[in-house]
Amino acid sequence: MVDLPSPSRAAAPVVRDSAFRVRMRRVRDLTAQILSNPATVIGSVIILAMFAMAIFAPWLTAPNTPDPYQMPRDWAATRMPPGTPGYLLGTTNEGGDVLYGVIWGARMSLQLSLVVVGSVLVIGCIIGSLAGFIGGKLDEILMRIVDVFLSIPELIFALAIAAVLGPSFGNIMFALAMVMWVKYARIMRARVIQIKNSEYIDAARIIGDSKLNIYLRDILPNSFTPVMVQATLDMGNVVLIAATLSFIGLGEAGIAEWGVLVSEGQAGIASGRWWASTFPGLMIFLWGLAFNLVGDGLRDALDPRTESSR
Amino acid sequence: MNAMNDVSSKVDRRADDVVLAVRNVKKHYPIREGVFQSVVGHVKAVDGVSFDIRRGETVGLVGESGCGKSTLGRCVSGLSDPTGGGVYFGLSKAEVARLDTLLADGSAAAQAELAQMERRHRIDRLEGAAQRHFRRNCQMVFQDSFASLNPRQLVIDIVGRPLRVYREASGDALTERVVSLLEQVGLGRHHLYRFPHQFSGGQRQRISIARALALDPDLIVLDEPTSALDVSVQAQILNLLYELQRDRGLAYLFVTHDLSVVHHMADRLVTMYLGRVAESGDTNTVFETPQHPYTRALIAAKPDLNDDEGRTMQALEGRVPDPARPPQGCRFHTRCAVATPMCGWEVDDVVRWLESSKGVFDALEGVDRTNAFDAALRFSSEAAARNLASTLRSDAIPAAMQQALEDVTVSGGAVRVRFREVPEVELTERGPGHHAACLINPSHSSSGAN
Repeated sequence: MVDLPSPSRAAAPVVRDSAFRVRMRRVRDLTAQILSNPATVIGSVIILAMFAMAIFAPWLTAPNTPDPYQMPRDWAATRMPPGTPGYLLGTTNEGGDVLYGVIWGARMSLQLSLVVVGSVLVIGCIIGSLAGFIGGKLDEILMRIVDVFLSIPELIFALAIAAVLGPSFGNIMFALAMVMWVKYARIMRARVIQIKNSEYIDAARIIGDSKLNIYLRDILPNSFTPVMVQATLDMGNVVLIAATLSFIGLGEAGIAEWGVLVSEGQAGIASGRWWASTFPGLMIFLWGLAFNLVGDGLRDALDPRTESSR
Repeated sequence: MNAMNDVSSKVDRRADDVVLAVRNVKKHYPIREGVFQSVVGHVKAVDGVSFDIRRGETVGLVGESGCGKSTLGRCVSGLSDPTGGGVYFGLSKAEVARLDTLLADGSAAAQAELAQMERRHRIDRLEGAAQRHFRRNCQMVFQDSFASLNPRQLVIDIVGRPLRVYREASGDALTERVVSLLEQVGLGRHHLYRFPHQFSGGQRQRISIARALALDPDLIVLDEPTSALDVSVQAQILNLLYELQRDRGLAYLFVTHDLSVVHHMADRLVTMYLGRVAESGDTNTVFETPQHPYTRALIAAKPDLNDDEGRTMQALEGRVPDPARPPQGCRFHTRCAVATPMCGWEVDDVVRWLESSKGVFDALEGVDRTNAFDAALRFSSEAAARNLASTLRSDAIPAAMQQALEDVTVSGGAVRVRFREVPEVELTERGPGHHAACLINPSHSSSGAN
């Protein structure tokens, strides 16, 4: 852009711009660009609905006591079809309210994905960025460890961990975190090495800035895009994998978790009691779909090839 | 404030001070091969270069791409450490003379004094305050203005960063310093809170220049600063650089492949070919009486509006040879139009010549070298060997090369070729401060010039 000197500009009062205001404007522009993709909007709406359901679960349905994450049992109303008064989505073999499972399952999924993705994001980014930035022996050692983890198929590794530690929701989270951090370390390292070789790092060295400052001001802020996209996709994937593990019997029986509900309800499908499995299954599907839509949208919007235009 | 003191002290400094002295700098990159990554050779990007940069002057460093000029620029600015020789900063003229004496003197006493001098002045041996002093006083502007600015920082952070690093200013004082720097490069207050991508290429290069000026350095290394810009913008940036130099007494090392730019900007010129200096001297002298055929070829290839009509531009022919195995004698002899038998013809020239004649090259099985000038070329058939021998005796090859051949004998399937052994061509003085690395005496070769 070219600023033509004009009398009106010279006379105009100086606009008190600030770094904060400019950065906020950038966030706004970026959000607008991300939301210009209809698929991303659909995904975002589903995610917002899921989050709302998870957060407001105690107000949507009365929490089960003592543990709200356990399915309530109403032995007087087992195998009720959807539409039964008080049980909008029907009940399970054991008289569990399917609607309760759907809502509290969202809360569980949110916890699961936030804890798992949050922890692997932090661990992966620290290990990957240090390996890439410091390089040398440290890089060698860390990356060989990563190679070992990567050589084992994700699901089988998670299965093995969960099987050894015993079936519980906490162990599934731990198993998922164990298999996923390596992916983040890999992505982060590759990006950091790419940024490390860029000319603005040379420019910072020429000024004489410290390595720590270069790491914090130049390397890190420019390295987050790829892991953020991956994290968004994985917010959906962890729920799918956790549901798979629950489905094959590594989940805790009786908890309000979608995978467990699908697993426990499948026996009834043959006898026409489709609802106990279908509604939680639909939630898993929607959850995975939504994060994949948003993740793909983010990837397109943050594509490094188009980054220069922002 | 601080800046004021800096400026006033600068005026006191002697005008003939040497800001930076480059002495026999080498940058060799190892070539690794095989499972164990053993070193099989070196790419000699820079191979023994010396020159001075004096206070307030512009030294133009020119050459084709791949000649090592950018690598040398990085060594000078301290971005990469030379593998041989040294870059010395902040010596007076007398100290530079002393340095040269010490470098030539091998005695223990001289080495001890040299070591002491290097601790204070050799840029890769500096520590603490001396290191900071050098870093502040030697800045750099890169070719790609987009890549050299952090895309997630605002102009105020980019230009103000050097001031923050050295704790020169903060808060409102920093903002005012940045505004003043921006105004010096033709930008203004309204550009403070913008990202690099919101500017044009020329404006971005101005931001880079403002950043380089922030610490009021003695020397700025300009690595092709205008090569990526439109011609009209180029001129603006060059004028800006010129004015800044005039006002501040800056010294520039101007690295470029563009001779027209250097003609206008540089006080002195250093032409590089394959990691070595081909010619150096005052810009006007070099342009008027170029002493090295390479410089002459570069000047001939430079488009110029003042050229006579009908005069065709002359392009340099041939490729730059592999810097891992630079040619013997004069490194330019493989492409030189006026090469003599003494210019370093060698076995590799025969191999290079064979590469261009496919039929014979396919029959070549191996080369057993005694040294660079003497080898046996093994062929799959005796006929092919005889064929090569007779070609080497005919005038199908350059006359100078043929005259440099001392022996061609065929034994079985092998041809033994032996060339006259010549030493590497050294820089010789051609006039006051004018040096060239060429065997040809200018009075003889003026017909070869255009």
